[in-house]
Amino acid sequence: MRVLMFGWEFPPYQAGGLATATSGLVKGLLRNGVDVTLVVPFQVEDAGIPGLRLRSTVGAKGRWKRIRVPSPVQAYHTVEQYALQWEETKRGTGGRGNPYGANLFEEIERFAEIAEDIAAEEPHDVIDCHDWITYPAARRAAAVSGRPLVAHLHATERDRSGDGANPEIQRREREGVLAAHRIICNSRMMKRQVVAEYGAVPGRVAVVPWGIDEQVAKADLEVPRPFGDDAPVVLFLGRVTRQKGPEFFVEVARRVADVEPETRFLMVGTGDLLPRIIERTVALGLAERVHFAGGLSGPDVDRAFRMATVCVMPSVSEPFGLVALESLRSGTPCILPRESGVAEVVRHALRADFWDVEQMADQVVGVLRHRVLHRELQRRGAAEVRSPRFSLDEPARGTARVYREAMNVSTGGG
Amino acid sequence: MRQVCFYFQVHQPHRLRRFRVFDIGRGRTYFDDAANREIVGRVAAKCYLPANRTLLELIRRSNGRFRVAMSLSGTLLDQLETDAPEALASFQELVATGAVELLGETYYHSLAGLADEREFAEQVRLHRAALQRHFGVRATVFRNTELIFSDAVAPLVARLGFRGALVEGAPGVLGWRSPDHVYHADAAPDLRLLPRNFRLSDDVAFRFSNRSWSKWPLTAETYAQWVAAGDGASAHIFMDYETFGEHQWEETGIFEFLRHLPRALALHGVEPVTPSDLVAQSSVGGLRFPHPVSWADESRDVSAWLGNALQRAAHERLYRLGPAIRSCHDHELLERWRRLTTSDHCYYMATKEYGDGEVHQYFSHFDTPYDAYIAFMNAVQDLEQVVTADRALAWEAGIDNQLVGVSAR
Repeated sequence: MRVLMFGWEFPPYQAGGLATATSGLVKGLLRNGVDVTLVVPFQVEDAGIPGLRLRSTVGAKGRWKRIRVPSPVQAYHTVEQYALQWEETKRGTGGRGNPYGANLFEEIERFAEIAEDIAAEEPHDVIDCHDWITYPAARRAAAVSGRPLVAHLHATERDRSGDGANPEIQRREREGVLAAHRIICNSRMMKRQVVAEYGAVPGRVAVVPWGIDEQVAKADLEVPRPFGDDAPVVLFLGRVTRQKGPEFFVEVARRVADVEPETRFLMVGTGDLLPRIIERTVALGLAERVHFAGGLSGPDVDRAFRMATVCVMPSVSEPFGLVALESLRSGTPCILPRESGVAEVVRHALRADFWDVEQMADQVVGVLRHRVLHRELQRRGAAEVRSPRFSLDEPARGTARVYREAMNVSTGGG
Repeated sequence: MRQVCFYFQVHQPHRLRRFRVFDIGRGRTYFDDAANREIVGRVAAKCYLPANRTLLELIRRSNGRFRVAMSLSGTLLDQLETDAPEALASFQELVATGAVELLGETYYHSLAGLADEREFAEQVRLHRAALQRHFGVRATVFRNTELIFSDAVAPLVARLGFRGALVEGAPGVLGWRSPDHVYHADAAPDLRLLPRNFRLSDDVAFRFSNRSWSKWPLTAETYAQWVAAGDGASAHIFMDYETFGEHQWEETGIFEFLRHLPRALALHGVEPVTPSDLVAQSSVGGLRFPHPVSWADESRDVSAWLGNALQRAAHERLYRLGPAIRSCHDHELLERWRRLTTSDHCYYMATKEYGDGEVHQYFSHFDTPYDAYIAFMNAVQDLEQVVTADRALAWEAGIDNQLVGVSAR
């Protein structure tokens, strides 16, 4: 089976979990005998994944003339945030390695144009794509090759932006979802949402939870102890945006510091809420307790997990939550958002409503105070995510099953 | 088999509320009174009242020949008294027929038998007094919490004046022998033992509504046939009373099953008896329990309560507080501590996988076993602080008294 896949993020071009998820899926598919051609909108380098055919739309001659400029837009941004960050980019203070165009919608259109040509050249049995940003390209490709279309939905616009959702993005999301022969969500919660919001037919929506790379960071990884050896560290790791609930983390920090004053709080990640969060920590008298590490990647992420006694995820919306699997794999107990994909599949972790600051603080203090609780959560959580259920193979096999279903229905099977 | 002995465990704990670390030292209650009231009310409506009605009708119709045994924990009696008095009255009506025998146990449905001999005896006496007060009866047969039994527990039970005890018919204890006879404890030869026939018991308690079970749907006629077909002298069928209407909903036909059971048994010549009838018979042999055995989980040991490090840490911390609590001579503090000894609190902390894990989670009102542990440890911490403060006061008072004594002299 050959799949033509359209992706928007891929390591190291990444803003969040989408890149990790895409690369994990690709690795798993290749290992399970599915040939993958991945089309991405940035300059292709060696992805370090043997067997993967990578194609870039950069430099390809679309019928649409354009000039490539550095862009601040990421899959997770609203158009307003985009405009703000575009200013930064123009001033030369923007982030590194960004795969996005100056005008997001123009960029998507260009990607779709070139997708048609690629679909005509590349042999494939099925087409897959990741989130709204790649849907137009995948649909155009399907129109050219006549192959069945599978759409991954990792997060909806409402997940990312809440009430500030962009109606144009929602329209594209709906169109893509309704055009696909099969939709793949990573949680039952997400499936309910796509059925309720976009009117997807439940029978066409498959749930395939994510797994993570079994390759654990090296045991001899040097873990810095910047706060002194004994101070427990409570970790927030994720984009500092409304979706991830960083403001709740700061309130939890205040409550925890009330009873465990030695505790340190580490916030890893960046985002539009960062200035507000920093101001809030100062206002709460936590300036010396909360530490901001900025965005980290690779082994630094593993170091952050290893430093932490417990990881807290107060996400307002978390369709899956790969961070939880990474945390548990590193032996760091985790407090999951009650409403999340990962909470549907992981047993040995604490869970709380994102707004329930008291409960999260109580759980954090519980883990800090009771060695035996920390050890049990650590041991059982790590053992759980090491099970085959959370490997890369299981989601890949589930995805391949959906590909076959899509191929059957599109050839008149039903 | 010629005889059958039905026994129903009736118990509800005082469930903990989510007692948070921020509640420590603020004089807040540990127990979720509202939730407990709600649950007891619901179970009374779905199970206790309709099941009692059914039993009463069966007893009257059979002129008292249909007989069963029950045990009601003290924590349940407390809650019935305040939150469901009509259910308590209906139990009293049942016992008054003379066809329902009540068994002795620890008032708080606790693990004291494993941890604290003195406390165990005390809680058994408290339960005895409660039976006297509510029902005017005295139990002669004992059923320890969830059928927990061991060679260490046996002499304690005998010393408290019981003539027999209910035990799990665990293969590890019986070996090749059938559970369907009256045995005695090697560790206390005067104590008769009635081993549970777990296959016949679980056919009703667990499998009754399971549609993928080859014997579904189970009728009273078929069941009576199975009971009659046994080679032993008496089948000992023990289960939660909540099986009727709560674990197995009314829609499954469980009450209909119960209603037809006495007649079906009679047709097959099986006579219902109570534990005290059986313990009057002679023993066919002695049983040894080098390790504690219970009716819980696949393993039928005490791992349902003390199987992981969390449970053991919580259990040990609680019982370590026992002597200090008693030395306070404060009835309210003692009562709080004893309510924490109820085994259910530890049960909620189990982290077992698969089937057993699901059963634990079904009973638990906590999200995860870890939350159950956090709330429990916070409550014990609070109690420790109260006790320490109380003792400091007592010590100061003692000094004051001495000073008064000195100056008066």
